[in-house]
Amino acid sequence: MKVTGLLIACALAAFGADNTVTLLRNADVYPVTSPEMKGVNVLIENGKIAGIGAKIAAPKGARVIDAKGLRVYPGMIDSGTELGLSEIPAERVTVDTGELGEFMPQLRAIVAVNPDSEHFPVVRVNGITSAMTFPSSGTRGGGRGGGQAQYIAGQAALIHTEGWTWEEMAIDRSAAMHVIFPSVGRGGRGGFDSAMTEMFPGAAGGGFTLARRTYMQQVDRLSEFFDRARQYQKERAAKLPGFKPDLKLEAMIPVLEGRMPVAVAANRADVIRDAIAFADRQHVRMVLLQPREAVKVASELKAKNIPVIVGRVMALPDEEDAPYDQKFTEPGELYKAGVKIAFGTFTNEFVRDLPYQAAMAVAYGLPYEEALKCVTINAAEIWGHGAEIGSIEKGKFADLMVTDGDPLEIQTQMKYLFIKGDNVPLENKQTRLYERYKQRQ
Amino acid sequence: MKQLLTALLVCVVCGFAETPPAVAIHNARIVTVSGPVIAKGTVVVRNGLIEAVGENVAVPADAMVVEGEGLTVYPGLFDGLSTLGQPAAAAAPATNGGRGGRGQATPAVATGAPAAAATPIPRGPEDRPQTTSWVKVADEISGTDRRMEAVRSAGFTTVASFPTRGIFAGQGAVIDLLSDEKPGEMVVASPVGQYISITRTGGFGGGFPSSLMGYIAYIRQIYIDMEYYRREKAAYAKDPRGKQRPDYDRALEGLMDSPRILLPANRAVEIERILSLARELKQPAVIYGGRETFRADAIAALKKDNVPVLVSMKWPEKSRDADPNEGDSLRTLETREKAPEAPAALARAGVKFALYSDGLESARDLERAVKKAIDAGLTREDAVRALTLSPAEIFGVADRVGSIEKGKIGNLLVTRGEIFDERTKVEMILVDGRKYTPAAAAPSGGRGGAVTDGAGNGEGIR
Repeated sequence: MKVTGLLIACALAAFGADNTVTLLRNADVYPVTSPEMKGVNVLIENGKIAGIGAKIAAPKGARVIDAKGLRVYPGMIDSGTELGLSEIPAERVTVDTGELGEFMPQLRAIVAVNPDSEHFPVVRVNGITSAMTFPSSGTRGGGRGGGQAQYIAGQAALIHTEGWTWEEMAIDRSAAMHVIFPSVGRGGRGGFDSAMTEMFPGAAGGGFTLARRTYMQQVDRLSEFFDRARQYQKERAAKLPGFKPDLKLEAMIPVLEGRMPVAVAANRADVIRDAIAFADRQHVRMVLLQPREAVKVASELKAKNIPVIVGRVMALPDEEDAPYDQKFTEPGELYKAGVKIAFGTFTNEFVRDLPYQAAMAVAYGLPYEEALKCVTINAAEIWGHGAEIGSIEKGKFADLMVTDGDPLEIQTQMKYLFIKGDNVPLENKQTRLYERYKQRQ
Repeated sequence: MKQLLTALLVCVVCGFAETPPAVAIHNARIVTVSGPVIAKGTVVVRNGLIEAVGENVAVPADAMVVEGEGLTVYPGLFDGLSTLGQPAAAAAPATNGGRGGRGQATPAVATGAPAAAATPIPRGPEDRPQTTSWVKVADEISGTDRRMEAVRSAGFTTVASFPTRGIFAGQGAVIDLLSDEKPGEMVVASPVGQYISITRTGGFGGGFPSSLMGYIAYIRQIYIDMEYYRREKAAYAKDPRGKQRPDYDRALEGLMDSPRILLPANRAVEIERILSLARELKQPAVIYGGRETFRADAIAALKKDNVPVLVSMKWPEKSRDADPNEGDSLRTLETREKAPEAPAALARAGVKFALYSDGLESARDLERAVKKAIDAGLTREDAVRALTLSPAEIFGVADRVGSIEKGKIGNLLVTRGEIFDERTKVEMILVDGRKYTPAAAAPSGGRGGAVTDGAGNGEGIR
C-alpha cells in the first residue's frame, strides 16, 4: 500500500516536472491584486503563470483541467511558522528550531528544513503554499534547553510547502533576520512578577527595578552587536591587509545594507517602542512579529511604516479584564490605523488554521478583501517577494488553489493545489487516517 | 515615690523584666473583654496571676502601685499564629522534610530536622513526605528569639507559635513572651494544634507529592492510615497475645496528639474546598489566611460549618517595586481594597475569628495593620477581642488567658490612650505578672532601634 502511494507520488512528481504545461479552463479567477475574472483560462507553464484570459488556448500536449464553477486563488502564505524545523514539539529529537548562543545571525533555518515533514501535506490541503520558517520563533531563546537569553536566533527562510529538497523549496534562503528583543521581566533571568509576590508572599521575585535594569543592559548588548557589525562592514569595505573574516558579522551585512529585514519579536507597548527606536537608530528595516500590544503603538508603527505579523487571532485575551474579543478585533484595528499586516500562526499544529484566523478577523472588523491580502500579497510584499508570489499575475510562480468556494470558509473544499506549477496531491496523514478508520466495521 | 520613679526609669533604660511580688494598677480604665469595661478600677496581679479586678478592689500593702490615672488596661494581646519563640524560623533554611515513617533508625527526634542527608526521594504517602507532625514547638521554644522584644513592645504577651515547614509541619504551642527565662516557663499550653500547609515551600528536592492534587490526596491518605492505626493499636492493646504488634508510626502519633488542625485557605473557592476536606477529616479545624473572607459566600460557608478562621493582618498591597506599565486586574484591585474589610464582615456575621501577624514584626506595622481593619469598619472592641479572647478561645486556652478575670494569667497591656491609635503609647506590659517596658520607641519600629538619622540628615557636616 505504502509502496503504491510512493509510486504514485513519484509518478506525479515526474509528471509535475517544470516543463509540464497545464491549462485551467473556464475558472473564476480571484487574483487578489485586481478584480475577479469569471470564466477565464489560466495557463501554467514551467512552474509560472504564463497567461490569464478567456481566449488562451491549451498548447499541444498540455494537461487541461475543466474548472467550471471552481475558483482560483493565489496560494496562501503563513508569515510565521516553524515548518520543517519542528515535527512534534514534545519529542525533542524532532525539534530543530534553535541553537544556543546569544548572537547567532549566521544560522540559516533553510538548511534544517525537513522536506518530508508530515506538516507540509496537512497545511497544503488548506491552501498554504508558502511559509516563513523561523529559527526559534516565538520563544525566548533557550526555551529549549538553553541557559542564556538569545538576541539573534538566525535567518528565517521563505519556503514553498512542497519540494524534494530544501533547495527546491526555497523561495528566499535568507528572508529575514530573527531578532528576539529583550523583554522586561516575566520569567526570564532577572525576571519578576509583582502579582506573584503579592499573592504569595515570599515568592521569588527581584522587583521591577532589577528587571528593568537587566532589560536595559540587554538592549545595550543588542545595540553593541549591531555596532560591531557595522564596524566590521567598514573594515571589510576598506579591504585592509590582515582583515579577518567573521562568519557572524558577515551574516549581518545584508541586514545593515537594508537588503534583509529584521523580524523583531517584541510584546509589550513600551518594549515595541524601544524596538522601533532601535531599528531607527540602526537604520534597519523592521518587521514586528507577534506583538501583544501592537494596537497601543499603532500610530508609531504606521509613522515608521513597520509592518506587523499578527499572531494567533483565535486566542484568549492577554489580560483577565480585557474584552473577550481583544484578539479578534486586533487585526481590524491595526488595519484601520493604517498598519500593514499579515498573519502568522507561530505553531506548526495551527498553520492549517491560517485561513480561519483571517476569517475570524473579518468577523470582527477587518475588511474581507484585506483579510485575503493579509494571507497572500501583503505577506509576499512584507518579505520582499511581491513580484514572485502572493497574487495571480503573469510571470509569478504558479502557486494556486482551486476551490469550490471562499477559501476563508471552513466548508470550502480544495479541489486542486498547484505549487510552482505542480499539481500537488492533497493526500496527507489525516486523509490516510480517515481512509483507514472508515474501513473499520 | 521618688525612689519608685527612679526604679521605673532604670527599667525603661534597660527594658528588662522586673518581678515585684504584686502589682496593682490603681484607678485605671479596665477593658476586661470578657465583661463590661470598668471606667475606673483596680487590677491586682500576684505571683503571675490576676488576684483581683474591679471598681472597689483594695490595693494590697505589699504591692507595687501603678497610678492608673489616664491609663487603660487591656488583656495582653494574643497573636493567633506566629513562629515566635523559634529563633530558627526567623531565617531558617528549608528543613528537610524527609521520611517520617515507621522503623526509622534516626536518633531521638529532638531537633525537628530529621535525617538531613541521604534521604531517599519520597515516592508515595507511605514515605510520609514533608511530614514532621511529631515535632512540638514547646520542646524547642527559646526566649532568645530576637523578634520577641519588638512584638512585645507592640503589646503582645502571648502567641500561638507553630512550626510551618512541610505538609504536616508539627504541633504548635501557646506561649507567653518571656525573655531570658527558662524556656519551659513560657509554655501556656501544648500541643494546641497541627499546622498543615499545601503550598510548595521548595527545597524538598522533588518526589511525591508535587501538585495540589497530590497534597490533598496525601492528607486524606494520612487520615485513612491514622484511622486504621488507631484500631490496630486498640485491638493489640486489648489482647496482644498471638498478634503481630503494630509498627510505631511517629507521623500518625503526632497527628493523633493534635487537638485541632490548622488548614490554609485564602480565596473564597479555597475556603469552600478546604471546608469540605475538613469535614472528611473529622478533626476540629481552624482555617488560616482568610484573605477573601470579606466575601459573603465565604462567610456563609464558614458559618455553616462553624469553623473559626485566623485572618492574616498582612493586607495585600501593591509591591512598591512594581512595573508601572503592568496594570492590575480588577480582582487584584478588589482584593487589595476589600481584604481589610474581612474582620468587620466576620464580626457582623458572628463567625469566630482572630487576627494574626503573618510576619509583621514591628510595633508600628502591627498597629497600622489593625488600624486598617478598624478603618474598614471593625469596631475597636471587636479588634481587641480578635487579638485577645478570640484566639484564646480558638486554641482552647480561654480559661487561662485572653481577658482580665480573677484567676487568669497576669498578662496585661497598659496604654496611655486608646489602643491601636497612632498617638497611643504602650506604657507597660505584664507577662505572667512580670513587668516589661516597651523598647524605647525605636524610630521606625525597626528591630534594632539603634538607628541614628544624624548622618543621613547631613548633621555631621554641620
